[in-house]
Amino acid sequence: MGKTLFEKIWESHVVVEKQNEPDLIYIDRHLVHEVTSPQAFDGLRMNNRKVRRPDLTIATMDHNVPTTDRSLPMLDQTSSIQIKTLENNCKDFGIKLFDIDSPNQGIVHVIGPQLGITLPGSTIVCGDSHTSTHGAFGALALGIGTSEVEHVLASQTLWLEKPKTFEVRVEGKRTNTHAVTAKDIILSIIKNIGTAGGTGTVIEYRGEGISDLSMDQRMTICNMSIEGGARAGLIAPDEKTFDYLRNREYTPKNYESLVDSWRDDLKTDSDATFDKQFILDINDITPQVSWGTNPGMTCDVDEPIPSPDEFSNGDPNQKKGAEKALEYMDLKPGTMIEDIKIDRVFIGSCTNARLEDLIEASKIIQGQKVASNVSAMVVPGSQMVKKQAEQMGLDKIFTDANFEWREAGCSMCLGMNPDILSPGERCASTSNRNFEGRQGNGGRTHLVSPVMAAAAAIHGHFVDVRKLDLN
Amino acid sequence: MKGNIIKYPRDNIDTDVIIPGQYLKVHDYAELATHAMEGLDPDFHSKVKEGDFILSGKNFGCGSSREHAPIALSHCGVKAILALSFARIFYRNSVDGAFLLPIEIDQDAYDGISEGDEIDIDVSKNEIKNITKNQTYKMKPFSEIIGKIIAAGGLFKYKPDQD
Repeated sequence: MGKTLFEKIWESHVVVEKQNEPDLIYIDRHLVHEVTSPQAFDGLRMNNRKVRRPDLTIATMDHNVPTTDRSLPMLDQTSSIQIKTLENNCKDFGIKLFDIDSPNQGIVHVIGPQLGITLPGSTIVCGDSHTSTHGAFGALALGIGTSEVEHVLASQTLWLEKPKTFEVRVEGKRTNTHAVTAKDIILSIIKNIGTAGGTGTVIEYRGEGISDLSMDQRMTICNMSIEGGARAGLIAPDEKTFDYLRNREYTPKNYESLVDSWRDDLKTDSDATFDKQFILDINDITPQVSWGTNPGMTCDVDEPIPSPDEFSNGDPNQKKGAEKALEYMDLKPGTMIEDIKIDRVFIGSCTNARLEDLIEASKIIQGQKVASNVSAMVVPGSQMVKKQAEQMGLDKIFTDANFEWREAGCSMCLGMNPDILSPGERCASTSNRNFEGRQGNGGRTHLVSPVMAAAAAIHGHFVDVRKLDLN
Repeated sequence: MKGNIIKYPRDNIDTDVIIPGQYLKVHDYAELATHAMEGLDPDFHSKVKEGDFILSGKNFGCGSSREHAPIALSHCGVKAILALSFARIFYRNSVDGAFLLPIEIDQDAYDGISEGDEIDIDVSKNEIKNITKNQTYKMKPFSEIIGKIIAAGGLFKYKPDQD
């Protein structure tokens, strides 16, 4: 019987395989950031261990870096200490670090692919749940906790239970590719499968609706696999993948011969079977807006907010969850999405802060101004994205419209640096999680695409971007 | 293992409410513990006692990979989470550092156990006794690897069986 892409990558990385034991899996690349690594390095020191493969380990600082002027001293002392700690750890253990002043600094899941560190068929781990992003290149990319970070630093391996396989097939063609984006596809998928729909599985996204997407868009899809509960998300590499990674700073020297083998090997066999399947038809898909406090609580832009009964389908916990979510979000069932007014707009995060996201958002706002009741910011995913955008003049389009144009980092996606919502503030956000308090205590998050966020900034409330002239 | 239940009857308790992002810079675990569940239940720290168990619905611990989540709960004295299901990273983090036991329960246990009930968990029999109500429920057995990591006392103490 044929094998899935996931099974092929897994099997080629098994170091030790025994009956009734977990598999010991070799890790090709380990990405490290300042928040989930300090205790892991402490653990190495306590046990007199070295980093086994510093050459396969790459670090940057992204979670709590300031996105304002970096020539100024950092006001937040605890963040400053965490950043300094990573610098010291990388120095002590011989790990390559893209520090806060590096032109390569950025969100770890944005810089990996941009630097050619993320490669098809490889295993990648990082102490961050959105590591699934790298699956867009046909890499098996897993988010791990700090104990596992330490284990990989020490041994370059992990004991893992083999996940099940889940095919998510995206069929059809979007009628308006500027208005309906990869973000809308993945939010639709999560709305349908639920936030635990992918638990214990690795999703492979397949079908015309996926192969049509650019690499930036595919990363948005794989990024949010974790929001559907999956261990990872994968897309088989194709010529777009190979073109993207060619001639990057860290692209391997024997790249073309690698591409030849990837072309032959890195695909799911036609007779392979998956443990689970979900099919999404995107012919009629609309822009999506989350209304609740998890990414599954999402509806079409032209729909009213559902009642807890409508949402829950008779499940009492789901009903209770929806009631609590509506209370937290200060929303009423039946309210039309376009009638929801917003206070803040955040265009950023490892989900949607790549060059293409910024280009698409800039088209919406060109020559216009942010509504007087709204404050809006753009936080590019990396300093490289920022520089490319500035070379195209995008920074000027945003600042002319009264958006703030910031330095790269995770920023308001998770509220670790000063970029947070105040209690009660409502934000149209291109990030990945709308959990209670995620963007700041009492803050209210609506997950949307970059074009939906940009349009909301201009109008002061959500707008169906299909109605706008985007060409 | 005996303890009393703190029940949160809802699904999708995420790691951002278990320990909000602003505290991920805190390295003192005792201080971290004072902020556990702050996003969901500001009274949690005043009511939790050494040896307590938390009971909740589906997909407990979803979201971020922060190991600070099980660490914060364990440093409050929480010894186990009983839930209908768990998000995988939280689940592994809980056992990798031997912080607490993630116990998968069925609907009978979920419905039968109330806030404050005294519970006795017997992992060797995969059994949960409700001492307060004199009821017994099944727990889902740990998988091979999880059982072995727990028995070893964490990921770094685990060694595969020798042939």
